[in-house]
Amino acid sequence: MNRTRLIFFAVVLFALVIVGVSFVIQQLSGNLPNPTAQPIQVRVVTALPIEPWVQEAAQKFNAEKRSLDGRTIVVAITPMDSVTALGKWDRGEFNPVPTVWIPDSRYLIELVNATQSEKLGRDIFLTDGEYRARPLVTSLFAWGIYKSRYDALAAKFGKDNVNWKTIHDAAIAKGGWPELGGDAKWGYFKLIVPNPNKNAAGLLAMVSAAGEYYDKTSITTEDVTNPKFQVWLKELISSVTDFSSLSSYTVEDLALFGYSVGDGGQLLESDLLVNMSGIQTRWADPLIIVYPKYLTWFDFPFTIWMGPETSAAEKNAALLFEKFLLSAPIQSAAAARGLRPANPDVSIASGDSLFVKWKSQGAEALVSRTARMRPPDRETLRALLRWFDLNVKGR
Amino acid sequence: MSRKITRRPALQANSCALIAIATVVLGMVGVLCLIAGLVSITSTADATPTPTTATLELAYSPEKDALMQDIVARFHKANYKTPAGLPMKISATRMDAADIVEAARAGRFTAISPDSSLWLGQIDADRERPLVSEATRFAVTPIVIAMWSDVAQSLGYPQKPIGWQELLGKAQSDANFKWSHPATSSASGLLATLAEFYAGANKTRGLTEEDVKNRATLDYVAALEKTVRYYGEGEQATIDQVLQRGRSYLDAFVVSERLVVYHNSKASAKLVAIYPVEGTLWQDHPLALLEQPNLTDDQRLTYRRLREFVLSAEIQKLILQAGYRPVDLNIRLDDPASPIKTQNGVDPAQPQTTLQMPNAAVIEEAQSYWFLAKRPANIMLVVDTSGSMGSQSKLKQAQDALVTFLDQVQGEKDRVGLVPFSTRVSGAVGLQDVGKERDALKARVRALKAEGSTALLDAVWFAYDDLQKRGERERINAIVVMTDGIENASSLKLNTLAERIRRGNASGIPIVIFCIGYGSDADWNVLNTLADATGGFARRADPETIRRLYKILSTYF
Repeated sequence: MNRTRLIFFAVVLFALVIVGVSFVIQQLSGNLPNPTAQPIQVRVVTALPIEPWVQEAAQKFNAEKRSLDGRTIVVAITPMDSVTALGKWDRGEFNPVPTVWIPDSRYLIELVNATQSEKLGRDIFLTDGEYRARPLVTSLFAWGIYKSRYDALAAKFGKDNVNWKTIHDAAIAKGGWPELGGDAKWGYFKLIVPNPNKNAAGLLAMVSAAGEYYDKTSITTEDVTNPKFQVWLKELISSVTDFSSLSSYTVEDLALFGYSVGDGGQLLESDLLVNMSGIQTRWADPLIIVYPKYLTWFDFPFTIWMGPETSAAEKNAALLFEKFLLSAPIQSAAAARGLRPANPDVSIASGDSLFVKWKSQGAEALVSRTARMRPPDRETLRALLRWFDLNVKGR
Repeated sequence: MSRKITRRPALQANSCALIAIATVVLGMVGVLCLIAGLVSITSTADATPTPTTATLELAYSPEKDALMQDIVARFHKANYKTPAGLPMKISATRMDAADIVEAARAGRFTAISPDSSLWLGQIDADRERPLVSEATRFAVTPIVIAMWSDVAQSLGYPQKPIGWQELLGKAQSDANFKWSHPATSSASGLLATLAEFYAGANKTRGLTEEDVKNRATLDYVAALEKTVRYYGEGEQATIDQVLQRGRSYLDAFVVSERLVVYHNSKASAKLVAIYPVEGTLWQDHPLALLEQPNLTDDQRLTYRRLREFVLSAEIQKLILQAGYRPVDLNIRLDDPASPIKTQNGVDPAQPQTTLQMPNAAVIEEAQSYWFLAKRPANIMLVVDTSGSMGSQSKLKQAQDALVTFLDQVQGEKDRVGLVPFSTRVSGAVGLQDVGKERDALKARVRALKAEGSTALLDAVWFAYDDLQKRGERERINAIVVMTDGIENASSLKLNTLAERIRRGNASGIPIVIFCIGYGSDADWNVLNTLADATGGFARRADPETIRRLYKILSTYF
């Protein structure tokens, strides 16, 4: 090769190096304006009891690099207790607006729709059609009571007689546990009811108590505003130790602080099952699960925001994530966390299910002897919250 | 040959032209690409939001000082960065829980970790939008009554359950029984106060504002508070004093379970934790983000990383080793390495019950009435007016601090005296009721002039002797010394004075001395000796100490 060609190739090589370097610089600067390659963001605000499950599922979903119309779907999860989320919806504080909300219960969707209907003249979360709210998993509310305390209550009121009425009698016992046949050092009977302003479980506890008070599955605004019922409810709630607690009596609190803060309460079954082992190692006294006569539950509906802030692509990508959450493998992962799958193909009555593991403590895969409470209407729920704010919040 | 020779220059000329054109074209392309690349960087940089701080300003309560410093050091060592590449940092400040509430509401700090989540409610009280968000807890510990084991046995321990009633009964019936609880600016102090109000109202739940204001309840609480030996700045300060002075300092005191473990790991004489039979409270050490207007997204990311960090298995194990109960239920308290065991004076199966937490209004009432019910104080202000106090506005600063102090004294029953000194004590004012003589005292303070030498020890003895002669045991008796110089004019020697004070405190009424030193010339040996002889403290007169002087002292009174 002669010198001229050498010079020629050297110049070409030099120019290519410059082009290459500038390309690398462009790459590093991340400035590749190709709008069609932008991923579709699905922003999910999820209730806390199922957050670990949803978070894990989202990681799997993202790892599979699923796409819609050639655009990758990216799911981002924000855990938030449903009552806080409810406040943010009502005050319009979400920025950006989530694509999907998975609250604890359809009750909360009712409450958001009630507010949004006043502003927009229509529901913002749909209850029918393609984008309707669909339950992902359910978890029942069950009594979780420390065994030593349960034994004393069972001896006093009868083995199958732990219910809101007998718990009310325990709550108002002036002599505390000695009067109920328990140990004096246990102090007074201490009920656990989450603060309904911080945890929707508190609202459902009041709904369930009302059902047993009236011995019926459907309660109305007239029922919850009845002065006699309100006196009874106030006596019951007076045995709650602390409504100022940080997490407002989730089962984790029961595990952390033990019987010192609560002898028992009606709590989320999945929380009870997941924390059962921790309670047994932290406190010498194990927990007993008892299912109430009138059942309430969380159904964790997958709910798509139908406002103009959500694009059609985002809505459809959200539907794909919903389908993923309802698939058998992901539903099995939910069952492993003590949740009851919405997919009927997934069983919780066999294998290493937490329902099987804690059967000795009272867990039941198939709950018998119970009736389902009908979801109260939004006015009844609002009346209960108003009563709480006026009578208990400032206790 | 000649042809070839004749063609070569033409070919060479063409090649040169080609090379030149190619070089120019490719060079232009390259330069354009380079420019485009650089422009894209510039434009990207322009599009990126202005970098903000990722440093989280965290205020935490003092009892977990060592633990929090360790956590912060480990966090920094992990070198976390935001997606924008900013280093995630924590700027941690130790502060009383009640002061954290005040600072948070005033817009200071972006994250907090007080000793109990009950303070979070006070931060958000009366606020339309909550300031506190994304809260979690990372360590819990119950509040207990710490006693020397033989003292506990004399009350019936371990056969008989012991509670607030037994403690309070002992304090009232035995004049030599020395007990203490922190002021209500910490969770343990607040609990002790609530327990007294509960006992006074003869309840263990359902305490109301009416109960707190009831005359009989207030008389009961006031009678009890007269038996409190010291309040102190907090439970860590109390346990440090107990470690230093041993059992002669106190017979019983209210602290968290964790500090009983801490004490017993360092001292040969052991304490036992009494879990009051009527019920106790828990410190739950929350970590919370504050939604201050200036909170940046990067600070929020730092907070979330810190939250994740404190809940990690590594830090949760560290928390257990520090004597707290970790929130991670997978970490077992019955592990052989766990310090939560009976050999350390604590019981992992306790407490059995808690007192019912009243609402914020009742708590506030109890705090207010406690200020009225607690022991009134006799306070002698010993102020250096020697010539050197005239330089660098030191006397002016001291005067401002004293005037603020006099304005802040809350108890109308408290008495204050003034002992100015230079070459000798001159123009002393005996103890006066602050409620009646506040303005006159302030006028005397403002009239002080700087001149002469420094007879510090004689002045302290003058004030000490006056308080001893009064012998008002039902009051807290204290001396606040403010000086900048080296003792150079007293007839008394330091050792003689310290010995007299020790003997006086043993045989007469206990008097506490607090020393505030101005400037670099202050004789810290003298100030520390005087403070140590009485259980007080010696502090440098920095603006924060001066600003908070009354607050600090009020935790002792």
